[in-house]
Amino acid sequence: MRTQKGVQVRVPKKKESITNILKKNWQLYILILPAVIYFFVFNYMPLYGIQIAFKDYKAVDGIAGSAWVGWKNFTDFFHAYYFKRLLLNTLLLNIYYLLWSFPVPLILAILLNRIRGDRTKRAIQTCIYIPYFISTVVLAGMLYIFLSPSAGIFNILRESLGLKTIDFMSKPEAFRSIYIASGVWQSAGWGTILYIASLAGVDQELYEAADIDGASVWQKIRYIDLPSLVPVAVMVFILDCGKLVNSDTNKVLVMQTPGNVSTSDIIGVYVYNVGLGSGQFSYTAAIGLFTNLINFILIITVNKISKKITDVGLF
Amino acid sequence: MSKRQKKKTMSMSNRIFYIFNTIFWIVIMFIILYPLYLVVIASVSDPDAIVRGEVIWHPVDFSLIGYKAVFQYSEMLRSYGNSIVYTVVSVIISIFVTLTAAYTLSRPKFAGKGILNFFFIFTMFFNGGLIPTFLVMKDIGLYNTPFIMILMGCVSVWNMMVARTFIQTSIPNELYEAAMLDGASHFNYFFKIIIPLSKTIIAVLIVYYGVAKWNDYFTGLVYLRDRELLPLQTVLKEILATLQVDKSGDYMVSISENAASINEATRIANVAKYCIIVVATGPVVVLYAFMQKYFEKGVMIGSLKG
Repeated sequence: MRTQKGVQVRVPKKKESITNILKKNWQLYILILPAVIYFFVFNYMPLYGIQIAFKDYKAVDGIAGSAWVGWKNFTDFFHAYYFKRLLLNTLLLNIYYLLWSFPVPLILAILLNRIRGDRTKRAIQTCIYIPYFISTVVLAGMLYIFLSPSAGIFNILRESLGLKTIDFMSKPEAFRSIYIASGVWQSAGWGTILYIASLAGVDQELYEAADIDGASVWQKIRYIDLPSLVPVAVMVFILDCGKLVNSDTNKVLVMQTPGNVSTSDIIGVYVYNVGLGSGQFSYTAAIGLFTNLINFILIITVNKISKKITDVGLF
Repeated sequence: MSKRQKKKTMSMSNRIFYIFNTIFWIVIMFIILYPLYLVVIASVSDPDAIVRGEVIWHPVDFSLIGYKAVFQYSEMLRSYGNSIVYTVVSVIISIFVTLTAAYTLSRPKFAGKGILNFFFIFTMFFNGGLIPTFLVMKDIGLYNTPFIMILMGCVSVWNMMVARTFIQTSIPNELYEAAMLDGASHFNYFFKIIIPLSKTIIAVLIVYYGVAKWNDYFTGLVYLRDRELLPLQTVLKEILATLQVDKSGDYMVSISENAASINEATRIANVAKYCIIVVATGPVVVLYAFMQKYFEKGVMIGSLKG
C-alpha cells in the first residue's frame, strides 16, 4: 500500500493524448481480444436470438426472417394449465434447497475451523471436497443404485428392520428430499472453501484476547467467527437467490422418472423437452426469457436489500 | 501458557464442545466417504452377491468381470477417448483466454476498462437461454461438430475474476513497474513474468475447467447428433436411462455383448454399473489428487476477494 501511494505522489498526473495511450497499451487490447470474441459469440449473439420469443420461428425463415407475433408466446404460457405446476415445482424445489444448501457449508466451516491439529483438519478438508468432482450423471446413477427397490443399500437396511421396500425414485413425495440431500452431500464440502478462507484471515489477536478474557469456544464462535463470515455469507446468499427460478436443470433431467414427474417437472426441464424434443422453439424461448428476467430482477432486488441492511453487495 | 496448562484449565463447556465436534466429524466423514467406498467394493464383487445384498462392508467373491465387460464395450471406449480430447484441448484454450483477460483486467488503469468489466460481468446475470443459444449455434455452423464440445462454456467470468484477483494480489506491482521502466512490452511481461509466476492459479484453473468439461453431459445431449462424437458423460446418461426402470435394460445388456446368454449379460450388468462409475470418475479424482499441492493455496488466494 505504502509504495503505491508513494508512486502516486511521485508521478504527477498528466493528460495523455489518445494516440499516446494506444501506442503504450495496444498490446493490452490484443491480450483481451480472445475473451471478448468468446463472450461475444457465446453470450451476446444468443441475446440476438432472443427475438424469436416474440416471433413464430420457422427454420426456413431463420431468426431474423420469421414473422412477429408480439406477446402471444408469453400469454400462451401464462394461460397454460401446467403453468402453475411448473412455477410452483421450480420455486419449491429451489427454496427448499436454498434452506439447506446455504447454512450447511457455514456450519461445516465453523466446526472445521475448531478441529485441533492441522493434519486432521487438512485430511478432512481433502475428503469433503471429493463429492464435488462427481458428475451429475454419475451422481444420479448412484442414487438409482442405492435407492433401488431390489438391492439398493437403503432398502437392504429397511428390510433388515422389517420394513417394506420402497421404490424411492418413482415417489413424487420423495423427489425433493432426494434432490436436496444429494445436492447438499455433493456441494456442501466444496461450499466451505470461501468461508474457510475468510476464517483464516481473522486476526489471531482477537482469539488471544478472547482467551485472556476466559471466553468459551461457543463465545468465540458467536462473537468472532460468525461476524467475520457475514460479508462472504451475504455475497453467497445473493448469488444463490439469483438461481431461484433457474435450478439445476441438468440434474433434474437425469433424476426425472415417469413416477415422480408430478414434483420433478420444473421449468428448465419443460423447456428442454418441449423446445428441443418437439421443436417448439419460439414458445420455449419465451419461457426461457421469462425465467431469465425473473432471475435478473431477483438478484438485483436482493442485492439492493442486502446493501441497505448489511452494507454488503455484489455491485 | 504452555499447552498442558491450557488443557488443565479447559472448562466443562469447552470439553463438551470438543467431544461433540469429534463425533460430528466422524459422522460427516462416514456420510461422505461410505457411498464412494460402497461403489468401489461393489465394482470388484461378484454380481450375485450384490443382488443378494451381501456387499456392504467389504468385497464379496472378488471378481473383475464388470471391468472386463466395460473395457470391451466399444462405444464406451470411443466416448472415453472423445472426452479426453475435448477436455485437454478445451482446458488449454480456457487457460490461455482466461489468463490473458485476467492480466488485462488486473492492470491499474487503461481506457475502456470499465466498459470491458461490464461486458464480462453482465453475462453472469443475463444470458440468451437454451433455445436462442441453440439456434444461434446452429446458424453459425457449430452444431454437431467437435468444436461446440470444446468451446461451449470453456471460459467462465467467475474464473477470470479469480485469476485477476490472484495476479493483483500475489504478483508484486514493483515487478511490473521495473519491467515497464526497462522498456518491456505487455506481451513480454505477460509471457515471461506473469505465466511463470501463476503456477498456483493455473493448477486451480486446470481443476475447475477440467472437471466441468469432463463432467458435462448436457452439451453433448443438446448439440451432437452423430454417435461417434458423443463424450463419455452423454453416453452414460443413456445407460442411466435404462437403470431407471431398475432392470438392466438393453443398453446395459449390450455392454456385455460378448456374454454367452441374455441371463449372463444381465448378471454382468449388475456389477458393470458400479465399474462404469469408477472408470468415469477416476480421472477427475486423480487430477484433483495431483493438483492438491497447489490447489488449496490457490483457491484461498483467488477467493479472498473474488
